[in-house]
Amino acid sequence: PSSGRCEALRMLLADQGQSWKEEVVTKEAWQQGSLKASCLYGQLPKFQDGDLTLYQSNAILRHLGRSLGLYGKDQREAALVDMVNDGVEDHRKRCGHLIHHNYEEGKAQYVQELPGHLKPFETLLAQNQGGQAFIVGDQISFADYNLLDLLLAHQVLVPGCLDTFRLLSAYVARLSARPKLKAFLASPEHVNRPIFGGRKI
Amino acid sequence: MPGAAGATLNLLSPTCRTQLGDWAHSWGGAGRDEGVEQNSKYKTFGRLLASCCAWLLRRDPDRGPPSSGSSSCLSVFPVPPYTIVYFPARGRCEALRMLLADQGQSWKEEVVTKEAWQQGSLKASCLYGQLPKFQDGDLTLYQSNAILRHLGRSLGLYGKDQREAALVDMVNDGVEDHRKRCGHLIHHNYEEGKAQYVQELPGHLKPFETLLAQNQGGQAFIVGDQISFADYNLLDLLLAHQVLVPGCLDTFRLLSAYVARLSARPKLKAFLASPEHVNRPIFGGRKI
Repeated sequence: PSSGRCEALRMLLADQGQSWKEEVVTKEAWQQGSLKASCLYGQLPKFQDGDLTLYQSNAILRHLGRSLGLYGKDQREAALVDMVNDGVEDHRKRCGHLIHHNYEEGKAQYVQELPGHLKPFETLLAQNQGGQAFIVGDQISFADYNLLDLLLAHQVLVPGCLDTFRLLSAYVARLSARPKLKAFLASPEHVNRPIFGGRKI
Repeated sequence: MPGAAGATLNLLSPTCRTQLGDWAHSWGGAGRDEGVEQNSKYKTFGRLLASCCAWLLRRDPDRGPPSSGSSSCLSVFPVPPYTIVYFPARGRCEALRMLLADQGQSWKEEVVTKEAWQQGSLKASCLYGQLPKFQDGDLTLYQSNAILRHLGRSLGLYGKDQREAALVDMVNDGVEDHRKRCGHLIHHNYEEGKAQYVQELPGHLKPFETLLAQNQGGQAFIVGDQISFADYNLLDLLLAHQVLVPGCLDTFRLLSAYVARLSARPKLKAFLASPEHVNRPIFGGRKI
């Protein structure tokens, strides 16, 4: 019951007018062990698309990107979308390590280094139609949802962290205003899900 | 762009390159009939060979840019579009090198020494301040997995359909998770962390044994019945671990057979035996 590594794909599905079922796994249920043992890498999320069962949040995002046309307009853009998503993932791992393993000791340094980790995304926007379109090209991709989720989470974790990034700030505002996405972001399900499981931020 | 010629030259020792230069001079000279009896076919062949050698040498990165007034270039060597910019290590590039080699592709290596990297301007120019950097023609990419996926997409190594593509992604992400664990051990925590790492390793390798068991009894590939970029990435991870933790695959019958079978593919086998591969340290910055 958290946003964690699923909110990006929830935002993608909501914004694309898709519906889905949630099977919430409580901490107690997880610790019982049999679901964990059945998961390929012993981790969640687990995702079902009909009879296809997937693990790994980025594999799920790419699957949805591929099947819903959210993977760039050609092979070249697809490569750039991958490059962006991998950068988002690298930062998710840093953030996750901080939150779950090193919060007290590590937060000051994390905040200090954060602008350097956000800057590549500002740069990418600046190089793409002055930041008025998407992170790659002129159609939304799964990387946009992943980046948006990362940025929204950071606005809570480190308030004001986007103040020096004009294009990223505008990008977050613009994407969050997309009608279906806006409705999802205002929904009780989203609002009441903690950003990080296991830790109150 | 030096392309294949540059790559070819990088494989030659300085002695060979000097010899090439000598040959170019002597054949060109023989073609001019300086006191040597040659029929016209040999003269033409000599000039052709001399031109090739001279062209090759002009593209030698170590010798600087082509001199002005160079003779007409015979484009007998196709220029590969791929360039790998990386440290002198296997690291996050050997999987894609294995992919390219096994697929019969050629590529150029731009090796970045520690000193060159610390100078700072290349790092500042990289999107995330990291290597590898990869060039496919005019497309510049960063992030080793984005490079693998790009090659997978363009060379048909991404499963046979969307379903398999998703599974290939799922496997590659598992390999990447383990690369990050391994990298953290090697670069940040080797002394203190190795014992625990070795203890936990079987649990991290087991998913891949399971995937093989579920796919034609492990006789095919990690997903489906055609090779994918995830196979090369997994193979590289396993080969590195056989060095890092000898015997770690002994309890994994299918993974052991998989490594042996893939490593025996002719082009891959040749690459794995090549001096370039053998002499590249597995991990940069640390002798294992």
